[in-house]
Amino acid sequence: MVEFLQFTLSGIVFGMIYAAVALSLVLIWRGTRLLNYAQGGMAMFTTYVAIEVIYRTGSYWAGFVVALAAGIVLGAAFQVSVIRPTMNKPPLNGVIVTIGLLTLLEGLAGIFFGGQYRSFPAAFSVTGLKIGTTPLGVSRFDVFTAAAVLVTTLALAAAFKYTTAGLRMRAAAFNATIARLSGIRVARVLTIGWALAGLIGALAGVLVSPSTFLYPNSMDTIFVFGFTAAVIGGLDSPVGAVVGGLLLGIALSYVGGYLGSDLTAAVALGVLVVVLMIRPGGLFSATRVRRV
Amino acid sequence: MSSGAEVAPAGAHESSTLVVEELVAGYGGVIALDGVSISAGAAAITAVLGANGAGKTTLLRAISGMIRPRRGRVLLGGADLAGRNPEQMVRAGIAHVPEGQGVIAELTVEENLRVGMMSWRGAMRRPPAGAGQARAANSRAERAAALDEAYERFKPLADRRRKLAATLSGGERQMLVIARALLARPRVLLLDEPSLGLAPRVMTQVMDLVVQLSRENGLTIVLVEQNARVALAIADHGVVLNLGRVVASADARTLAADVALRHHYLGF
Repeated sequence: MVEFLQFTLSGIVFGMIYAAVALSLVLIWRGTRLLNYAQGGMAMFTTYVAIEVIYRTGSYWAGFVVALAAGIVLGAAFQVSVIRPTMNKPPLNGVIVTIGLLTLLEGLAGIFFGGQYRSFPAAFSVTGLKIGTTPLGVSRFDVFTAAAVLVTTLALAAAFKYTTAGLRMRAAAFNATIARLSGIRVARVLTIGWALAGLIGALAGVLVSPSTFLYPNSMDTIFVFGFTAAVIGGLDSPVGAVVGGLLLGIALSYVGGYLGSDLTAAVALGVLVVVLMIRPGGLFSATRVRRV
Repeated sequence: MSSGAEVAPAGAHESSTLVVEELVAGYGGVIALDGVSISAGAAAITAVLGANGAGKTTLLRAISGMIRPRRGRVLLGGADLAGRNPEQMVRAGIAHVPEGQGVIAELTVEENLRVGMMSWRGAMRRPPAGAGQARAANSRAERAAALDEAYERFKPLADRRRKLAATLSGGERQMLVIARALLARPRVLLLDEPSLGLAPRVMTQVMDLVVQLSRENGLTIVLVEQNARVALAIADHGVVLNLGRVVASADARTLAADVALRHHYLGF
């Protein structure tokens, strides 16, 4: 029973990280129908930026903030420089460009920061919390992780729902033609979408790296899990991305806990295949509404 | 600010006259418009007619910047706007309602209407009458007033303002897209097949609305219609396109009386 509780709680924590990656993918997918394969690589790179800042300043929070800012800059810069020119081209062009970006980022990280595994600090204690004598399987930092993603997600959802800028982004994502005819500068809106995706990806990178170590490929697995979560959620739906992340996190935690951690990646890919086969639109897809 | 945000400027008439000169446009290797010239008078309805593939929709798309004309001029109030993108065109005063009751289904009715006001900030403010800066400062109240006015005019939308646009009927959708276009405060309204898929009674309502917009609000209207009979009944002027060229341009009554032309190009 205690084991079950521990697996569930730590599943939620990892699920929130997958949710963050999924959310960053959804933000770009909604606007451009493009899957950003470089999302994990961007998060890895900004986490390296964070670690350098932390070593130089001695302040975790300075690194944290700089990483998020770097995520925004990287996302916007990529969109403007290399993604925008692909937009009126066949969809494969954009996909190839993001794969190219991933390779570029991993190569540059190796050159600038070295290929060895580096440990990344956590903002809070990573020793497990207990209620009485019962260990919960999660630490203070895990609680911070879940809370940080949750707050970011809610803030984003509120901004989308209640601000004019959010309405502009939704209008551009749902119907770019009408948005443009109404005077919305859709190209600019898409850049903002990439910037937000960069921000959330950077958050995921900083939050996950204390438990994975940091190296040029360190976000690859997390990217696959985040992508799976996004597909479970339907790629179109921010809520779906978060729910998909949580479902996947908890499921993988049970698999890892009861069956062995070697199986988690295989199970994640299995889930991905099964979802694509049975319900390719995902669990929260708005596709049916769209076809009306 | 007298009666608030009126839909139309009703200012100097020349400033609302849309003149298209020798417009050439197409898709890839296909020329869909081959030197089309039309003149749409201020506060009048100009019907653009012709068979499928005649270039009617392309004409509207080229005017509103959805496709870039290869040659030719799009003059509004004497200024050549050809080559600008849709975001700029709507700010210059040309609103385009594309074919197919184009609501944003995933947004609520009110959100759809708010999208209609997205061109306001940084736009050339119209009507120019009076305090430009006071208007800017007052923009939130002004937006609310404009929304109220839209609901006043289109009462069925008011009851559904929190509902998703996906839940509206065909007639309500057409109402919504026209209301959204009006909120941009255009001088010129381009309407692409507003009667498409509507029941006859609803179609009549939409056509009455189009007449009202030109007569009462002074909007310059370019109306593309498959249903030539209905369009000519309300239009002041008619232009017939065939294979990307103008084959007739005359007073609407003259066109409607031309039996040969009707048989040949208009199918009634």
